[in-house]
Amino acid sequence: MQYMLLIVEPQGQRRTRTPEEGRAVYGQMLAYNESLKARGVLLESNSLREKSARLEVRDGRRSVTDGPFAEAKELIGGFFLLDCPSREQALGYAAECPAAAWAAIEVREVGPCYE
Amino acid sequence: MVSSVAMTATDAHRTIDAVWRIESARLIAGLTRVVRDVGLAEELAQDALVRALEEWPRSGIPDNPGAWLMATAKNRGIDHLRHERMRAAKHEALGHELEMEQHTNGARLEAKADDEIGDDLLRLIFIACHPLLSTEARTALTLRLLAGLTTEEIARAFLVPEPTIAQRIVRAKRTLSDAHVPFEIPRGKELAGRLSSVLEVIYLVFNEGYSATAGEDWMRPALCEEALRIGRILAELAPLEPEVHGLVALMEIQASRIRARTGPNGEPVLLMDQNRANWDRLLIHRGLLALARGAALAETRGPYLLQAAIAACHARAPTPEDTDWVQITALYDELARSAPSPVVELNRAVAVAMAYGPAAGLELANRLQAEGSLRSYHLLPSVRGDLLARLGRYEEARGEFERAATLTQNARESRLLLQRAAACKQGEMS
Repeated sequence: MQYMLLIVEPQGQRRTRTPEEGRAVYGQMLAYNESLKARGVLLESNSLREKSARLEVRDGRRSVTDGPFAEAKELIGGFFLLDCPSREQALGYAAECPAAAWAAIEVREVGPCYE
Repeated sequence: MVSSVAMTATDAHRTIDAVWRIESARLIAGLTRVVRDVGLAEELAQDALVRALEEWPRSGIPDNPGAWLMATAKNRGIDHLRHERMRAAKHEALGHELEMEQHTNGARLEAKADDEIGDDLLRLIFIACHPLLSTEARTALTLRLLAGLTTEEIARAFLVPEPTIAQRIVRAKRTLSDAHVPFEIPRGKELAGRLSSVLEVIYLVFNEGYSATAGEDWMRPALCEEALRIGRILAELAPLEPEVHGLVALMEIQASRIRARTGPNGEPVLLMDQNRANWDRLLIHRGLLALARGAALAETRGPYLLQAAIAACHARAPTPEDTDWVQITALYDELARSAPSPVVELNRAVAVAMAYGPAAGLELANRLQAEGSLRSYHLLPSVRGDLLARLGRYEEARGEFERAATLTQNARESRLLLQRAAACKQGEMS
């Protein structure tokens, strides 16, 4: 089974940190990343920058809105893709994520979108 | 993790089970280093689990469940060794006890260095796969100690009665204990042999899940997942061993096809008929990376790297027609030289048939038939049936498919073979 752990963090939270604090947070996440790797469950991971663009194509016409989006209270700050047998285990790994203390970890099973 | 208020008993047990599966290997590995007996370490870990099952539903899951389990198990261990000392006044036990108290008092709940935990885990893998043990015992012990599976789960996965597995595990632990097998990472000349024993067990577990040898289920995915996970752990712990990366590459690429290997009703779909859009591209990518890593380390490619290279040829082909069969044939030639076996020869026959025509392949398959060592292996008549059918020799082909159907223990595979036999009958008439 594959599970995506999405880090859902409050909009603007990053800017409340000093560069040192930001790097310390990132370091904690790297250590977590290594511990997932050492246990053979990590398939892929990355952190995402805040800057974003939203694209839509309607009636063949494309529109791009640059973010961050004022109406959104949260943003996806990064992800970990895990290979583990059950939802409970995915939740167990999510509970170890340092970001669980300052953001929310959304746990989603990978699978086709039509089922 | 889960608030204690909202947690029902079932929720709690499910969560504890998950924590156990996540923590047990590291727990047992750490305890083995302290008590120097893998059987005792496993019992202490089990005791700690029982305590968790009693306490956590009331108190909630602790912040660091792994550290809680370790502390609880170590306390049990100290009680146990005190008891032992009173009974036998063993010098050895006393020494261990001191070491243990040092651990619990000194660096009690401090996080141990990751590489130290890693080394313990690697030692545990080597002990579970020790050559003193039979292959069956190694397999059961590996699933028990490294994957945290229960005796019942292992028994179900291998379709044997639970007491058989329980006995296998008890005997294996006793054998290791009686022989005073050291808790260490083999070095130098010993390493190669010990490592191949580990790789064999991991691949056996994977294969048992990938193509179940008996019963209704075409695969038991949990075994594939466990094998892959242990393989990935091993690749992290022994990053300079080319064959470890070869095995991981092989398993990643084979696992990438799991979704495509069965049809809507659970029937098997053969490699050439699979919808390649359903292959897991990420696993293929990981497999190809592991293959490149292993190949860069190897002076000569061993059997796992070669098999992975063959699997990679299929993975790289966007359509079945794009498959580079000439390259695959060359890889099978190399494999037949490095690890000669009738099964490899049979696969080589299939590759040769694809690269140079069914008649060339059939010639190799016939040689195997005459040689006789694959007499009870269903894939030999199955391959011969396929090649004969492609040469238009339907009557002979039908006989081969029927023979293959009686030889396989997998019910779904047997049905597939009988369908092919029936199709030959139509071929005979047309």
